Amino acid sequence: MRRLATLALALTMVAAACGGTSPTGTAPTGGTDMSALAPAKDVAPAASITWWHAMSGVNGEAINKIVAGFNSSQSKIKVETVFQGNYDDLLAKLNTAIASNAAPALVQVYDIGQAYMRDSGQVVPMQAFIDRDKFATSDFEPAVINYYKYQDKLQSMPFNSSSSMLYYNKDAFKEVGLDPNKPPVTFTEVADAAKKLTKKDASGQTTRYGFGPSVYGWLFEQLMATSGALYADNGNGRDNRATKVVWNSAAGKAILDWWKAGVDGGYFFNPGIDNDGAANAFNAQKTAMYIESTARLRGHINTVAGKFEIGTGLYPRPDNKPKEGGNIIGGASLYIMKSRPPAEQQAAWEFVKYAMTPAVQGQWQADTGYYPIAKAAYDTGPSKEWATKYPQFLTAVTQIRESAQNRMTSGAVLGVMPQARQRTQKMIESVLLGQATSQAALDAAVTEMNAAIDKYNKANP
Amino acid sequence: MIRTFLSYALLTVGSIIVAFPLLMALSYSLMSESQIATFPPPILPTRPTLNNYADVLDTIPIGRYLLNSFVVSTAVVIGQLFTASLAAYAFSFLVFRGRQVLFFLFLSTLMIPWEATIIPNYMTIRTIGWLDTYQGLAVPFMATAFGTFLLRQAFLQIPRELWDAARIDGASSLRFFISTVIPLSRPILGTVAIYGFLSTYNQYFWPLLVTNQTFMRTTQVGIAQLRFEETLRFGLVMAGVVMVAVPTLALLVLGQRQLVRGLTAGAVKG
Repeated sequence: MRRLATLALALTMVAAACGGTSPTGTAPTGGTDMSALAPAKDVAPAASITWWHAMSGVNGEAINKIVAGFNSSQSKIKVETVFQGNYDDLLAKLNTAIASNAAPALVQVYDIGQAYMRDSGQVVPMQAFIDRDKFATSDFEPAVINYYKYQDKLQSMPFNSSSSMLYYNKDAFKEVGLDPNKPPVTFTEVADAAKKLTKKDASGQTTRYGFGPSVYGWLFEQLMATSGALYADNGNGRDNRATKVVWNSAAGKAILDWWKAGVDGGYFFNPGIDNDGAANAFNAQKTAMYIESTARLRGHINTVAGKFEIGTGLYPRPDNKPKEGGNIIGGASLYIMKSRPPAEQQAAWEFVKYAMTPAVQGQWQADTGYYPIAKAAYDTGPSKEWATKYPQFLTAVTQIRESAQNRMTSGAVLGVMPQARQRTQKMIESVLLGQATSQAALDAAVTEMNAAIDKYNKANP
Repeated sequence: MIRTFLSYALLTVGSIIVAFPLLMALSYSLMSESQIATFPPPILPTRPTLNNYADVLDTIPIGRYLLNSFVVSTAVVIGQLFTASLAAYAFSFLVFRGRQVLFFLFLSTLMIPWEATIIPNYMTIRTIGWLDTYQGLAVPFMATAFGTFLLRQAFLQIPRELWDAARIDGASSLRFFISTVIPLSRPILGTVAIYGFLSTYNQYFWPLLVTNQTFMRTTQVGIAQLRFEETLRFGLVMAGVVMVAVPTLALLVLGQRQLVRGLTAGAVKG
């Protein structure tokens, strides 16, 4: 995440360079059929295509497993995978490749690159293939696919998806007399539990904090969503391109005030802008609760095995539990690139369809801990086995199933989303450190981001 | 006696501070993940394990990556020494019209951020079909304005009288360069070489950009492959870092001896 600022700069540069080719303004609305954008149905798929991804380690192995399965399931198409560094590096490399016409047919791009990919005009919307083939998406998890829709059209195919939830130390709950099977849900409940869980030694040093979230912009986005509030205008940038961010609302202020009160009161730990630091503090029992991606579950359970028991709970929300609130998903999705010949696009689509089958999705969940996108995947063997091994994952599934589906819970799409995320982190930090009051920090961040959005929208008409 | 003791104590403390990150990397690479995740953070592994190293070998072809990094870095060093020493020689000993202007023009390229040239460089490499090749990784870095500047300043320290004497004895420009300038400048050439080697060895974005095949990738891209998107295994990453750092450290130790010898040789002769 550190390189985001440089990347953002590079993106803006490239965006300016490619300006004028963007088809955003002409994107069809409502029920228009998009099949015309896809190659004709009788185009024979290419014999080989390349897929760029950002998954390393166990997740990278899981990707290779899917591809090997696809390659041996038929004899016409061969997919080759290339690891291109983390999400930021991949996007930076993709930009360079686009400029010299060397992009692959299929790429995996992270959640917040969505608006940028659309505005680049380099992508064949996934909806085009779906409309052309009358491909059924009714079994797909609504919370997941809604995140990748613009004007109700699917731009890319969700691939690896996670959301955020509350992690808590069941042993610590028992120790201080809290019910280990009833995690706190609302802001007040979390604060009250955190106060009880905080422990000091004889010298007054805090040895355990109740709650310790990282100063992570994504967590703020999620808190806005569970508050049922918009992050950006024009339906979070999904009805039309967003022209400004609106997080300086009462909901935004309530979040910061809650966070600040906890840190000032000494029962919230502030690890700074450090996701791994927050995770380690939880593993090391320096904090008893924290919030993070559902995809971290397996890592946590394996690391703390034998030390304490991990529980998972719904993501925190305001005390009135707004009905229109819910969780946004994060992760990455697959894009089919327009610059490749129709035969390659066709082959890429064939692979995407294969990757979405319940059997593949169930195995993918078991290998990685991401949500399966097809609901039927939960009935497959590997997925069931996984659920027995990590029952805590049930919370994650319940949570997105119970989320209201609306613009607030679909999350924001902005061309400058990486910068916005960074700016909110700076904003939260300035409040926690007492450098600004919550309202002043919110307003300053919003003003600065609106100028950046303006600039981006002008550069990508 | 006390003085020696004190200065040794001071040096020991200093070297521990300097080497601390490296020692921690080594220590963490020998710990299990659950030991790393304890508070307060442990300094030494209680039950040292080589599992992390085995996992690195399982996850990435690190031997191949090390080989690639060495080939590329060595090629860059040779290229840089060749171009930079000749250019610096021209800028310091040869007198020609517009030398000063040319030199400042040369220096001003130091001000162009590397980021601004990535896309044009990439397009060039792609057009000549050098993606996934050693030359694609190495050639763009074979000329160095910084190294030229460094060498020119060193060459200017060589007494003009040597040049005059050589000319009187009938030595050609090239002969003077090979027989006098190069031997006298060994320490500074060593500096340019080590600097060039390390900066090439540590490159991340360019190798990532111009390679797509696993067998052409370099060590830093390999380290990135050890970082997973959702969970960070410190032990694994540290094991990778240690494996990548050891060869460069060895090189530095060997190079240092060369450097010192060069320094004294120059001092006695000069």
